[in-house]
Amino acid sequence: MTIKNNLFLLTTITLLISCLLITTNVHAESKKRYQFTNKEIRVGITPRSPQQMAAFYEGRGFSNEMINALIQPCFFTVGIHNKTSDILWHDLSAWKFTNSNGEIKHLDRAYWKNKWKKMRIPLAHQSTFRWTLLPEKLDFRSNEHEGGNIILPYSKNKFTLQVAFKTKKDKSGKLIPIKIENIQCQR
Amino acid sequence: MPTLVQKYLLACLLLFSLSSLTTANSKLPEPPAGILKLDAYQAPPILLTDIDGIKYNLNETKGHWVFVHFWASWCGPCRKEMPAIQKMWDNLKTQGLKIALINTAEDEDTVFNFLGIYAPNIRALMDRDGQVTEKWKPRGLPATYLVDPTGQVQYQALGGRAWDAPTYLNFIKSLIK
Repeated sequence: MTIKNNLFLLTTITLLISCLLITTNVHAESKKRYQFTNKEIRVGITPRSPQQMAAFYEGRGFSNEMINALIQPCFFTVGIHNKTSDILWHDLSAWKFTNSNGEIKHLDRAYWKNKWKKMRIPLAHQSTFRWTLLPEKLDFRSNEHEGGNIILPYSKNKFTLQVAFKTKKDKSGKLIPIKIENIQCQR
Repeated sequence: MPTLVQKYLLACLLLFSLSSLTTANSKLPEPPAGILKLDAYQAPPILLTDIDGIKYNLNETKGHWVFVHFWASWCGPCRKEMPAIQKMWDNLKTQGLKIALINTAEDEDTVFNFLGIYAPNIRALMDRDGQVTEKWKPRGLPATYLVDPTGQVQYQALGGRAWDAPTYLNFIKSLIK
């Protein structure tokens, strides 16, 4: 075999291994999903990596300055499905995230609005960003699915989420509690 | 001081007005699953330009039911729903329905490329800074409202719907007949 042939073989093997590693990594990312489900509700939480978030917002034309601010904290895409035949009340202020250091407050709309204002971010990008967030409050109708992102300050420790959803039009129905443990920020 | 007869006539007039309102509301059909009947309210204004810069004013569509739809190209359910809206529109555009297809905070190139694929025959309105969308307070994107001929928002869809399915087509037909 010539040196040229050896180089070709080496390059091919390297490329094949790289492809295998990339595929494995993609699968590993998509497998990390946390879920609570019963006959009344389904709540799914998918951690997003800084690379995923940067790619998404770059695709929407966000500035580097804005993207840099967005890749620091932890992003989770949350989906909620009301499986009851009544109204289920979602209120993000009632969501309790805790880890070994205590309670962690999510970075809410007011936090980001203030940040974007200081950074003089165009209204269009602020609007797009807001629409990617989980609503702060919503009266989920029977069989309604909605979702969006929740953003927490970065921590390498695992989180626990606890929340109880109120039900019925006047919020007098039974509480539906959920608990999801060992949620981890994707890095 | 109004006389007894005047008071009686006034009371009759009030009762008649109230009953007319109730009758008008009760005439509206029950929506299919996935569409909410709202307590009617005045539609927030929509004063926008389309992708070609032509002005649009929701007020100028009075006398017709209007299908008001908010969307963005990055939203997965919007991509899924848009071809169904195009088919629904192909079916109903000659029957008196009006449409306001509002893109939330994206640019012309993005909208042009997206609609070229998913809904090539619908005029897109550009909510360039997203402020019109904000005023409508959708539950999320996509969001669809049905506005009656007097400018009142009567129905809201929950998430994306198969608008070209007979259930939804027949429902909209029953409104515009």
